[in-house]
This record gives sequence, C-alpha cells and structure tokens, in this order.
Amino acid sequence: MKLLKSFFSFTFPLIVMLFMFSIYLLVTKVVDNYKENIINDYAIVVIANTPLSSISTLAGIKVKDIEPLSREKIIKNVQQNLSDSSIDLLQKKLPYFYKIYLDDFPTSLKLEQIRKELMTISNIKKIETFSNDHNKLYSLLILVQNIIFILFGAVLLLSVLLLSKQIKIWFFEHNERITIIQLHGGSLLYSSKPIIKIILGSAFFSSVLSSIMLFIVISNIHRIIEPEIMTLIPTVLSMEMEIFKIFILSIIIPSITFFGLLVKYKLK
Amino acid sequence: MILAKNLTLSYDNKKNIIEDANFLIKEREFIFISGSSGSGKSTMLKSFYGDLPIKKGNLFVNKHDLVKKDYSKLLTLRKDLGIVFQDYKLIQEYTIEENIMLPLKVHNYADDVSKAQVKKLLKHVKLSHKVGAYPAELSGGEQQRVAVARALAHNPSIILADEPTGNLDDYSSDMIWTLLKNANEHLGITIVVVTHRIPTDMGIKYRRFNIEEGVVYEAS
Repeated sequence: MKLLKSFFSFTFPLIVMLFMFSIYLLVTKVVDNYKENIINDYAIVVIANTPLSSISTLAGIKVKDIEPLSREKIIKNVQQNLSDSSIDLLQKKLPYFYKIYLDDFPTSLKLEQIRKELMTISNIKKIETFSNDHNKLYSLLILVQNIIFILFGAVLLLSVLLLSKQIKIWFFEHNERITIIQLHGGSLLYSSKPIIKIILGSAFFSSVLSSIMLFIVISNIHRIIEPEIMTLIPTVLSMEMEIFKIFILSIIIPSITFFGLLVKYKLK
Repeated sequence: MILAKNLTLSYDNKKNIIEDANFLIKEREFIFISGSSGSGKSTMLKSFYGDLPIKKGNLFVNKHDLVKKDYSKLLTLRKDLGIVFQDYKLIQEYTIEENIMLPLKVHNYADDVSKAQVKKLLKHVKLSHKVGAYPAELSGGEQQRVAVARALAHNPSIILADEPTGNLDDYSSDMIWTLLKNANEHLGITIVVVTHRIPTDMGIKYRRFNIEEGVVYEAS
C-alpha cells in the first residue's frame, strides 16, 4: 500500500503535466493545420505602376510566389462598354496587379510590417491584405494556444516541485543503503540505482497513460468541442510524433529533477 | 599505510576531539585503538575513511591526502578499504551473498568471479549453510561475520573495524578476532581496530594506540 502510494505520488503530477503537454500539442496541431489551410487561399494583392521586381521575403516571411493578374482579362471584362480609343487608353494607363503568396500566415503585427515594407517600393500604388476574416479566428486560436502553453508552464513547475519532493522522500527511504554503498566506494549515482529504476518505471507508466488519455480525447473530440469548431480539426489527426514527444518529456523532466537533486546531495 | 601529522579533529569546529596526533601505521600491521567511551576512537577511525573533515594537520591513507580530498578521490580511497562497523551496516533488502558482493560490484568484477569469491568467503566465515538468507534472519555474530566477509571480498589493503565485537558474545567475538588475525597474517592486510576490549590471547604481534582526553599515544 505504502509502495503504491509513493508510486502514485510520483506518477500523478507527471501524468497531469504530460496530459497538459499533450493538450498543448493537440492545439498546436489544430492551429498549424488551420494555418496551412488558410495560407493556401491567402494572398496579398498589390497594385503597381510598373512591373514588380522579385521579392524574396516580407517581414521575415518567405514569399512563396508572386502571381501577376492578367491585364488582358481585366480589360476584356470591361471592354464591351468602351470605345476602341478608351480601350487603348486603358491599356496604357492600367496599372499592374499582383497576388503575393506567402510561406507562412502573418499575424496582424507582421501584416502591418509587410504593408510598410511594400510601401517603401516606389512603384506600388495600393496594397490589399484581405486579412480581417482570417485574422480573427487565427488570433483566437493563437490566444488559446498561448493560454494552454502558460498553463502547461505552471503545471510543469508545480509537477517538478512535487516530483522533487517525492524523489527526496525516496532518497530518505534509501538513505541507509546509499550510505553503505558510498562507504564502500560506490558513487552517489551507483548507490541511487534503485531510485533511478523507480523513476524510469514511473516515467514509462506515465507516458503510456498520458498517450492513452490523448488517444481517448482525439477519438471523442467531436463530443468535446462545438460542431462549428469541428471544421478546424483535421479529419486525420496523426499523433505519432506527439506521442514520441510525450515519451521523451516523461523521461527528461524526472531525469532533470533527479540529477538536480543528485548534484545538490553531492555538493552537500 | 596511514600517516597522521598534527592531526586535529572536531565536530562542527567545536571542542577538539583529537588534538595534534602524530603516528604512522605501516603496511601489514595490526593496530588496536583503545580508550574510554567518548574518547574519540571511532571519530579517528571515521577520519581514516573520509567521513569526517580534518580540522588541522595532515592525514594520508594509502598516499591519499585526506585534507585535499574531493568526492571522486574519496571514493577511490574507500574502494581500497574494508570497513567493519559495530552495527554491521548490512543492507537489509539484500541477501548475505548480495551484501558480500557489494564491494565487488563497485569494483566491476565479472559476475562469475564475484560469485566464486562470495562462495569462498561464505565458507571462510562458516556461513555456507545460510546462502539466500537475509541479514534479519541471522544472529548478531553471524551478521558480523558477513560484514567481515564483505570487508575481505575485494582484498583491500586496509581493514578498518569499529568495535567489531562490541555487540557480540564471547564465542562470536573469538570468531571475528580469528578472521581479522588471519586476514592480517595470511593476506597481509593492515588491520586497524577500534575497541575497548583487546583480547588477551591474540597470538600475533600488534601495536596499540590509546586515546585520552584527545591525546593519542602509543601504549606499551
């Protein structure tokens, strides 16, 4: 019973932390997916007096493509109501239209920066970013992602405190054995082998349980979130990499906590 | 070899327990350290295996300077020592074989070598019939024999024993003295024993240091 209690004192904060992390990963995945979708549709329209020279980056974002809009097509759309001389004049005076596709979806701040950068190019007359509709939802998603990240940070801090407390208890419980081994020339690391085994076992158990919990959340996501938001969720949520990240974190956090305490004991 | 020059020891820099001690313990010697209770016998022995910082002076154990010791050097020194305690200090969760094997594991001996050595030592301390037993299943005398076997396991150059017979009856005490005597005579191990009860019929040459009010002197 005591053993079970001490095991869960360690695994519980670890599971909560890992679950929080997996939720963060899930939200990140949704945001990335949304970003990928909108970036394919999204373009900045630029009107210039003369043909535009190539632009490689805007506000640090790589320009994917600059697509000129056909001037003939524009003229064709309006030529029915115009005389030949007016069409000739239009051909001479009509500015050049371009669609600029970016590699990444810009935030409002970046958009403002892009606008300023484009305005420095002398032949550009007008810029249309069409960002309002996309931006509202995108900003909201980023906000949710940031809130979850902050929550994860807080949970991580609390978990590390609880983990270190439990490891200290284990050090205390194994104190006699550790002392005897050290008296025989065994290092602190060697004498702490039983604690390392418990930590690794608990970490593995926690990562498996957190992955199962994440799997349950993904499988039942349509029950958890509103149907309108369901459109944001990719139809296939592949989480292999995320599960790997959870596993790595489940090993790293307890290990760092353990080695931190080990250094502390060694200095003592 | 243990060399002390003006060795002064104290707990937490308070009153000196050992003051300005000067002595040399040569290889293969059998040494008794005696004195009344609280005279500082065990304190001095602790300093030999680096469990107590040195306040003043110098102490060399097997050429290891215990004043300048760091953690890794301390472990290296301890690997070359065998220590026997009054309260045995056996790991209760380990069987007696695992306890004896401990210094061999620290020395990274191969498993088969360790097992053979443990078997030999169990026979030597007359505990072959107790294979697989845990310390709690043994009497005090048997536990101390396991502790002596553990101290001998890696063939150390020095065995430090702190009141090894303090809790034992006469029969068990005699066995422990015989084991330590044999280790000195036949294996050439330097033995330093802290005791307030030196056996009358040791049958080997030994030296005795006495501690009185912090002063260490060689008694005749």
